[in-house]
Amino acid sequence: MTHPVKVGVGIGIVAAVVVLLFGGWSAILAGIVAGAAAALVTEGQSIRDRSATLRNGVISGAIVGVFILIAEIVNDILVLPLAGKDPVFPPFTLGPISIPYNMFVAGLAGLVLALAIGALTGWINSLPDKNRRLGLAILLLTFLALYPALDAAAGLGWIEQMISIMIFVVLALGLNIVVGYAGLLDLGYAAFFAIGAYATGLLLSPHLCNQSGFNCEFYQQEWSFWLVIWIAAAIVACFGLLLGAPTLPLTGDYLAIVTLGFGEIVPVVFRNLTTVTLTLPFTGICIAGCIKPLNVTAGEQGINPIARPWVPVVGSFQTGEYIPWYVLILAIIALSIFFINRLRYSRLGRAWSAMREDELAASSMGINLVNTKLMAFAMGATIAGLAGVFYASYITAIFPSVFDFTVSVIILAMVILGGVGNMTGVIVGGLIILLSDRVLLPQLATLLKDTLNTTVVPHVESPAVKDFLTVSVDPTQWRIFLFGLTLVVVMLVRPQGLIPNVRRAAEMHPDEDTWDLPLSIQQADAATQVRSVDRETTID
Amino acid sequence: MPPLLELTDIKTYYGNIQALKGISLSVAPGEVVCLIGSNGAGKTTTLRTIQGLIRPREGTMTYDGKDLVTMEADEIVKAGVSQSPEGRLVFPRMTVRENLEMGAYSRSDKVGIQADMEKILDLFPRLRERLTQKAGTLSGGEQQMLAMGRAMMSRPRLLLLDEPSMGLAPMLVEQIFRTILDINQQGTTVLLVEQNARMALAISDRGYVLQTGRIVLEDTGSNLLNSELVRKAYLGEH
Ligand SMILES: Nc1ncnc2c1ncn2[C@@H]1O[C@H](COP(=O)(O)OP(=O)(O)O)[C@@H](O)[C@H]1O
Ligand SMILES: [Mg+2]
Repeated sequence: MTHPVKVGVGIGIVAAVVVLLFGGWSAILAGIVAGAAAALVTEGQSIRDRSATLRNGVISGAIVGVFILIAEIVNDILVLPLAGKDPVFPPFTLGPISIPYNMFVAGLAGLVLALAIGALTGWINSLPDKNRRLGLAILLLTFLALYPALDAAAGLGWIEQMISIMIFVVLALGLNIVVGYAGLLDLGYAAFFAIGAYATGLLLSPHLCNQSGFNCEFYQQEWSFWLVIWIAAAIVACFGLLLGAPTLPLTGDYLAIVTLGFGEIVPVVFRNLTTVTLTLPFTGICIAGCIKPLNVTAGEQGINPIARPWVPVVGSFQTGEYIPWYVLILAIIALSIFFINRLRYSRLGRAWSAMREDELAASSMGINLVNTKLMAFAMGATIAGLAGVFYASYITAIFPSVFDFTVSVIILAMVILGGVGNMTGVIVGGLIILLSDRVLLPQLATLLKDTLNTTVVPHVESPAVKDFLTVSVDPTQWRIFLFGLTLVVVMLVRPQGLIPNVRRAAEMHPDEDTWDLPLSIQQADAATQVRSVDRETTID
Repeated sequence: MPPLLELTDIKTYYGNIQALKGISLSVAPGEVVCLIGSNGAGKTTTLRTIQGLIRPREGTMTYDGKDLVTMEADEIVKAGVSQSPEGRLVFPRMTVRENLEMGAYSRSDKVGIQADMEKILDLFPRLRERLTQKAGTLSGGEQQMLAMGRAMMSRPRLLLLDEPSMGLAPMLVEQIFRTILDINQQGTTVLLVEQNARMALAISDRGYVLQTGRIVLEDTGSNLLNSELVRKAYLGEH
């Protein structure tokens, strides 16, 4: 897909699906995101030809925009009427200004934005490397800052889902350390998420403290969240070492099975830590739960309420007020990315890649495999711990059933679909999977239901068919099926993931050009082969 | 001169299988010593034991006066022992340059690493032409050069080479052995494991013959070349 037209069409189709489903001002958001995405994808292929990046950005952005405009019109004149909804927009008001408009306004706005952002991104791509990175970062930060406003203005209400999705993005980034960088297949990663959440639950709710008879004011302090986030992360890191240690002699399939076991054990433990009495071994001296056994995790009932973060000006974060949570989870993602990037190019990061390639060779290089593996588990666990802290505090209650095997599987699928070892891929892949699952699919289900009820069902005679249409046609119930289908298709079509880890070499040595196509490598190889054969024959 | 490396009655097991049944050998500073023996004799196991990749169950090992048995593999590399492993285990998805850099993992002197990289690329000019190529796409001979170059990047005093000529064309074998002599002349002590006994003994000061985990013969390279056992068993002469 080197051609900007192809990219424009591909991304345009995706954007069109979103706009078809949501209509209205979703075109703006779709235009911005898809325009930038199209320009970025075309760039990857044409990096040698810097003057072409601007042109590619404009072309692909424009094509995306056309798709959005068409989708908007189709939504307005076809999808909404079929679903029995009023096709006329509610008026768009910004303060005192009220703009009358129709589908063309929204559609054209989407088109113009896609074109403009595509051009802008293309132009940024044409800058020298340093400015290019800065430009892209500014573009991304501006978008992230404006997103809540755009979301609210467009009346989409995606932000709530975005926050839960971003918790998974953090988890995927953490698992990428273990699976992508260190090459250790972990099927029970949700265990660390659970431990982070439970550590937070125990430290930030009155639940345990009330039973102990101690002073229970800690969890009520305004600053307690900001302390607990570090304590919990450290606790989870320790559990990373603890659960990593028994797996040290194992690799590959065996390691995967053991981690699967840990992933199952941890929620079970949390479910059952309801009557705990601690005694010192051999002496029988009781330490805790002596009078009455401690109910540590409250089993199936879960722990609540869990305290929320507090910052000056904003005050305590509230349920339903999404912006502070959005900013906090973005900050956690930014912190994780910064931390992981530092790790990756550190000695430890290099040791991980060597170990992933060949353990024996790595240890002959003087790499301590034990430490290197344990550090991968600990670092991965720390990131999961951060996600767990945020989750517990955001939901304000935790239950053992939340952390089951499917969570581990979804996180692993995000990592693999996005592109193992590539942070951008993991983030983008994760966003695509979860947005489709949590945002697009429910909307599709609603629209389909409405369409069937208003347009199809009244004309159906047979009660059996009627019944089938109203009850059984529900895309949200196909979730797991669609998820599985996506996995199969992506792995068949693009086994290396959406954004594979191809630039690693180029990143490590930015001064060198490693963009040789395979063919040119082969040719160069053949040429030197001939030369070296010549040289060999001249050896006496 | 005290030996740089000395093994006394080393016994190494894989689980219950005893691979080394009491190996004693020594390498003096500046020597090229070779260890010959047929498949499964325990040559690789000996090198792995020296490098700390497997712990011996019995026996003592010293390197430069230090007790090797209790040292971890990473400490042993830091102390100056490095290995080009059997089957040239390069990192296939890393570039040639990254492979060489991994060889210097135990070091932190950036300037020295860069200088050594240049030296090694002078030793193996073919690697210089392929610095940004993925190691997995190199030919067998080039991978062997890379494995040796990578081992040299830790600036070892003792270089362990496990079958550097395995699977290479005769022309390349000659070049590899020539390079081993170059490396030795630049001051690195070499312990060489080979099945290609003729060439190995020809460039070695001394040699040991290993049979099923035991050393059965020890002499200078040229004496071994002329000994009846070696001629029959390892040089295919009758
Ligand atoms: N990883 C291993 N596990 C079990 N046995 C091994 C292992 N590696 C080698 N062996 C056994 O140890 C003996 C010596 O092997 P090795 O040192 O590789 O011999 P050589 O390098 O001389 O061919 C052989 O009998 C071999 O089967
Ligand atoms: Mg061997």
